[in-house]
Amino acid sequence: MFFKKENRVEELIYKYLDNLGIILESFQNAVMTCITTPACEEFDFLQDRTHRFESKADDIIDEVNNLMYGKVLIPDSREDIMTLLNALDHIPNNLEKVLFVIKYQQVEIPKGFEPQITDLIRISMESCELVIKQVGRFLRNETGIREILHTIDKNESQCDYIEYRLIERIFKSDMDPFMKLQFKELVTFMGDISDHADRVSKLVNILSLKRRV
Amino acid sequence: MYSLLGGIFLGWSLGANDASNIFGTAVTSRMIKFWTAAFLASLFVVAGALISGQAGIETLKGLTSFSLNQAIVSSVAAALTVSVMTVLGLPVSTSQSVVGAILGIGIINSQINTAGLGKVFLCWVTTPLGGAVICFILYKVLAAVYNALKISVFGSDKLLKTGLIVSGSYGAYVLGANNVANVTAVFVGAGKLSVFSAALIGGLSIAFGILSYSRPVMETVGKKLVALDPFSALMVSLSVGMTIHIYTVIGVPVSSSQAVIGGVLGIGLVKGANTVSTQTLRNILLGWFFTPVVACIVAILITFGSYLEYVGP
Repeated sequence: MFFKKENRVEELIYKYLDNLGIILESFQNAVMTCITTPACEEFDFLQDRTHRFESKADDIIDEVNNLMYGKVLIPDSREDIMTLLNALDHIPNNLEKVLFVIKYQQVEIPKGFEPQITDLIRISMESCELVIKQVGRFLRNETGIREILHTIDKNESQCDYIEYRLIERIFKSDMDPFMKLQFKELVTFMGDISDHADRVSKLVNILSLKRRV
Repeated sequence: MYSLLGGIFLGWSLGANDASNIFGTAVTSRMIKFWTAAFLASLFVVAGALISGQAGIETLKGLTSFSLNQAIVSSVAAALTVSVMTVLGLPVSTSQSVVGAILGIGIINSQINTAGLGKVFLCWVTTPLGGAVICFILYKVLAAVYNALKISVFGSDKLLKTGLIVSGSYGAYVLGANNVANVTAVFVGAGKLSVFSAALIGGLSIAFGILSYSRPVMETVGKKLVALDPFSALMVSLSVGMTIHIYTVIGVPVSSSQAVIGGVLGIGLVKGANTVSTQTLRNILLGWFFTPVVACIVAILITFGSYLEYVGP
């Protein structure tokens, strides 16, 4: 009877987190497919699937936005939730951008770069999954937020290292200069994933500290 | 009936001004709708006036004994003082204004209850101090409980929202109980009204002020408290209710604005921050001094004015 809108916002946020989990899974499968068999139907299917779930994530955020404009939740919670969702939404946007570059710019992972790209994606996905876990802990006011923050921070440093080494290797290789720029752009977008996860993680930590009275 | 108009006007202005101290934070931050707040405040103000308003009425009517004309003069003088002080931008207390006006009439009648006045003055000084102490203790105790409970983000949101509605309603109840005496006690002293009818008319006139004109005041005054986090806002709201409640039991009408300032100061003590500027504190001190003095002088001047007769050429 009471707090119908508040309950709906809560439901939508957990739905968003579940949806993000599906996007991560779909994205990782797509990139792995691209590495093993570039430009195949399987990749197209997974790219399209990622895009559909990314659109669903946008729809969820739009519905939360509409409810927030209807002044649901107290102002502080409203601000915290919207800041968090907007920060979180950079992750699926970035994942979609990576697949977009692979598909429409027809960028393939050159031979010899696969192990480093696999590592970069694996560590980035681990960070994103940890972010989902951390946001859940924040929403339920559970402990362990700082521990997750440290792991994500460590992962981000590792991803940065891999990204810089990759860029160095790209420009030292005898690849076509145009391909170098295309591939470097892809690597930069891949490197941004762990940066976004790190930013969200730090934000969650600040919000959890701010909410203590 | 016309003789009560001064009191009703005073009640209206009290309702229009003081509802912001009770529900201002919740309404300006859109935690609850204005009409929900106004309806709850009006309902609980009338309930408070009828159920617990007698003690304050007995105290004020006991300060001096009035004729009906003097009761009207004191109401008008108090209402005029509140209006002038509001225009000057000084924090005005209806309670201090009413007592100042009663004192003015008492001076003319050479009939002042010094023991009663001493009690009233003491309560004025201790209202913001009491507000600060109660808010400080409430914050410390409830914050420990709140942190220990580990409530989820959404659970805490619902709890704080419900808390603000409940504490606002409680605040409205004690506001009605405490401040109804300001509005109609002089008419009880003058024998025009019984204690029950004074509580009813006073409560209804305050409720009328809340329903008809509290929105702009709430939107202006309430914003001063929005800077507080929701938990602190709830503690201020609860401490205002509790502070006024204590003085209602003692039977002395006090200022809800000063109780709010006290509560905000209490939050400052907890957080080690300046929540109230020195300018605001200076204005409060000025208001403390000038409100009763001005009301007293206005009441004396109106009384003298009422004796003037036109002498033709």
